[in-house]
Formats: sequence, C-alpha cells, structure tokens
Amino acid sequence: MNVLSEMEIDALTEVFNVGAGRAALTLSEIIGEEVMLSVPSLKVLNASEVSPAVLAVRDGQFATVSQMFTGPFNAEAVLLFTENYALEIVREMMGSQMSIDDLAEFEQEAMSELGNIILNASLSAMADMLGITLNSSLPHYSISSRQDIADRFAGNGGDGSYILVLHIDLVLQKHHTEGHLIFLLSSTSLNKLIAHVQRYLDTIL
Amino acid sequence: MSSNVSHEFSTAQVVNNVNLGLIVVAQELQVVLWNDWMSRHSGIVREQALQQNIVTLFGGQLTPGFLRGLNNALNYGLPSLLSSALHRSPLPLYVEHDGSKAASRMPQSIIMSVLHSAETGAPSCLIQVSDSSTSVKREKMLMSHSDAFKRDAITDALTGIYNRRFFDENYLLAVRHASRHRSKLSLFMIDIDYFKPYNDRYGHIQGDKTLQLVASTLRAQMRHPLDICARYGGEEFILLSPGLAEEQATGLAERLRSSIAELAIPHETSPTATHVTVSVGVQTWIPDQAGEISSLLKGVDEAMYHAKKLGRNQVVVKK
Repeated sequence: MNVLSEMEIDALTEVFNVGAGRAALTLSEIIGEEVMLSVPSLKVLNASEVSPAVLAVRDGQFATVSQMFTGPFNAEAVLLFTENYALEIVREMMGSQMSIDDLAEFEQEAMSELGNIILNASLSAMADMLGITLNSSLPHYSISSRQDIADRFAGNGGDGSYILVLHIDLVLQKHHTEGHLIFLLSSTSLNKLIAHVQRYLDTIL
Repeated sequence: MSSNVSHEFSTAQVVNNVNLGLIVVAQELQVVLWNDWMSRHSGIVREQALQQNIVTLFGGQLTPGFLRGLNNALNYGLPSLLSSALHRSPLPLYVEHDGSKAASRMPQSIIMSVLHSAETGAPSCLIQVSDSSTSVKREKMLMSHSDAFKRDAITDALTGIYNRRFFDENYLLAVRHASRHRSKLSLFMIDIDYFKPYNDRYGHIQGDKTLQLVASTLRAQMRHPLDICARYGGEEFILLSPGLAEEQATGLAERLRSSIAELAIPHETSPTATHVTVSVGVQTWIPDQAGEISSLLKGVDEAMYHAKKLGRNQVVVKK
C-alpha cells in the first residue's frame, strides 16, 4: 500500500539527505578524512508486515543505536549497522589495532556516538526543514540479531503502527558500509509527519 | 520524626558530592551551574564560572565536537555524547595534582542533555563529564596483553626466535608465493652436532645457553626482511630465504656453518672438533628446473643427514 505519495517520499528523502550531509561533515571532522553519507532510498511499511526479508537486512549480528524522540510526532529512531562493518569503521575512527573480537567498552561508546551523530543530524535537518522542534532521549546501544530486530518492530508497533525504513550508504576511505535508519511511529504520528511534509512541500512548490 | 531530619539534603550538597563534573549552560551560553568536581579539575572556581560565557571561560579552547553538542542541545533539543575514544579530552581538565609531577590532561566521556526551564520551557544544556582515565588504562593494558599473546604464540620460549608453528604457516605461504610467481626459494636445515653428549657433559643449563647463542647467531646471518629463522626441533633450526641464486644460497649455508664454529664454544666430547659445530643441508628450488617444490623440505632434511654421515661440521647442497 502507498501511505505516502511519490512527492512526499521525495521530499522526505531530501530532508534525510540534508541530514546525511551534516552527519558526513561531522564525521569527516572527527576522523580527519573524507566521509560520504547518503540516503538513496526510503520506504514506508506497516509494522505488521515487517519480517527480516522486508527489512532487507542480511543475516548476522547488528549494532543498533536508538533514540526515542517526541515533539509534533513521536517516534523511536533506530540505526542499524552490521556489527563487523560498524566496528571496522569505529576502529578506523579510533585508529585502534584491536581485533573485532575484543569488543571493548571504548568501542561501544564510540559506536553510540557514531549513531548519535547520524541520528542528531537527521533530526536537526528534519527540525530545520519542517520547522518543528523535537526532544530526544540519549542514544542507547545494543547488539541484536536479524530476527530480534524484526520482532522488535512487528511486536512493538502492533496494529496501526508504521515504520519508515531508510537505506544508508556510508563511505570512508578504506571502508564502504551500508546501514538502515528506521523510524517506528504510530499511525497518528505518521499522519502528523505527513502533514508537516505537505506543509513543507507547499512552501517550496 | 528524627528519620525525616536525617534524610534532608540540599540539592547543592548532592551536586557537589557526585564524582562527576556537572555544568549547566543556559540559552545565551552562560554557565548557571558549576559543581565542586569542575572547580577541582579545571582550576576555575564556581565564582569565576557562574554567569560567564562558557566559550570565553575556557579561553576558546572548546573543541568543534563540544560546540556542536551545545548547539544541538540549545537550538534543537537534541542530546549528544562525546566518547573518549573519538575525542579523548574535549575540555581542558586535569587529573588532580599529586604534588610530585605536573598535572596531566584528563581523558573524558561527556554526555550533553537538555533541561527545560519550568517557567519558560527554554532549553538549557546539562553537561556531565566523567573521568575515563581508568578505562583508558584498562584498554591499553588489554591491548598490550593481546599483543603479547600474539607474540608468544609464534615465538620459541627458550631461544626467542620464531617457533615451529610460525615456520609451518609461513613456509606454506612462501611455497605458494614462489610457485605462483616462478621465483626461487632456498631452505636451510641446521642441526647442532653431538648435542646429546654436549648436554651430558656440560648439563642442561649450559645446553640451553648454547641453544640460545646458536639461535641468535643464525638469526644474525639473515639479510632480507622476508627471511625466516625458526627453531624446528630440539637442536634443529630451519631458515627460509626467497630470491637467492644457488651459489648465493651455498655461500649463506657456509656462513651459517662458520658463524657457529667461530663462536668456539668448547665441546670436549665431540669426535668432530674441540668446539660446538653444526651440519647444514641446503636446497634451492628454481622454477622450470627438475624437482617439485613440495619436496623441498624432504630434500634439505636428506642433505642435512648426508652432511652428518660425511663427518659433520659441513654443508651439503641438495641438487
């Protein structure tokens, strides 16, 4: 089913790409090398339809960083990265020689920060472009399996909830990784988001 | 009731007793809360800090990451985290003086969250600073342990040169590389002559010392970064060297033999000489010539035994 029109999807993709640009700038500044971050695709799914296959996530362990945010609409934003890729990036950022098996608390904290940077950049771009104010909790880091993630969205949302799935491409000099940015929101919140996107479209069209 | 009295504390008491730096920065970047921990580690007392602009207070030393966090909190209501892994030391804070040495800059983890004014709803930024020196230390310790384990796994404990495991793994790689690139590969097997009688005569402690000396002397003959010298068995050593011509390999084998003889370690019970000697077998695999590379190891072993049969303290080149 098409919850959002093509135009609304384009507008939201643009908002998130502005956020991705901001996040890339911040990451470049920390790492001291060029970082490219983009959001090539976005789709909206009914939470009850969620399965590992629909999420298009590969098998394996995932590093997730989530923030709950509230404002004109409420949502849980979750950033997913394949654990190994995420740690490679964090290790490159830290310049550490440790093996991936030695998952240190340092890296977890750095992982949370990486997620926080991307989430904050997306939320601040949304706030600027849609003219809204959001409040957010601190980032929470966890490791989950593909099934855990699907269950979390399907179960948590219940009927009438939606998820917004954004595909993320993160390119560093030596690494290329893909992740997902997922927003879990109720149908009321989704409607409010759509109303804000519509208002934004009205101002630019 | 008395229990009520004993449980009353002022917020200020709590704020000043936590083992954490607490700062609150209001909308115009002015500091409105500064706890004792901050005074202690920054050298800036509360009276100096309050109502000051935080940027000028730190004399322009704030990092871009810290400023971005402030902006996210005050202008967007978004919390931030500055991990010690990616920032190390965002604020000019110091571990307390212990009198003897100069204060060192403190590694920190910082959490910046948003407080809303009860009256106006205007956001302020609560900054929590924690000292991560202990986790930094622990991390460094883990890293050095893991390096040490890796080193131990490939080193022969007695002689300090590579062990059999390291040789076996790298020998396979070298053989594969040589056959793929059609390049030469030389192998040397070195065995100490009459080592059992030596141990019987001089004792195991002296035997160990001699093994160590022989190992370091053989290793000192290596010239190329890709050469590998390892302890292969009890008194047996093995050396791998890529890219040598046959006569160069023979020259190196002779140098290995003579370097041990020149140590002139007394060996009264040796029928060969009055000092410790070695027998050396060598073979060079040359691409497109007779002989399979897979028989190299067997070849040098035979050459070394041949050298033993011929009277020891000599080099035998396997063709």
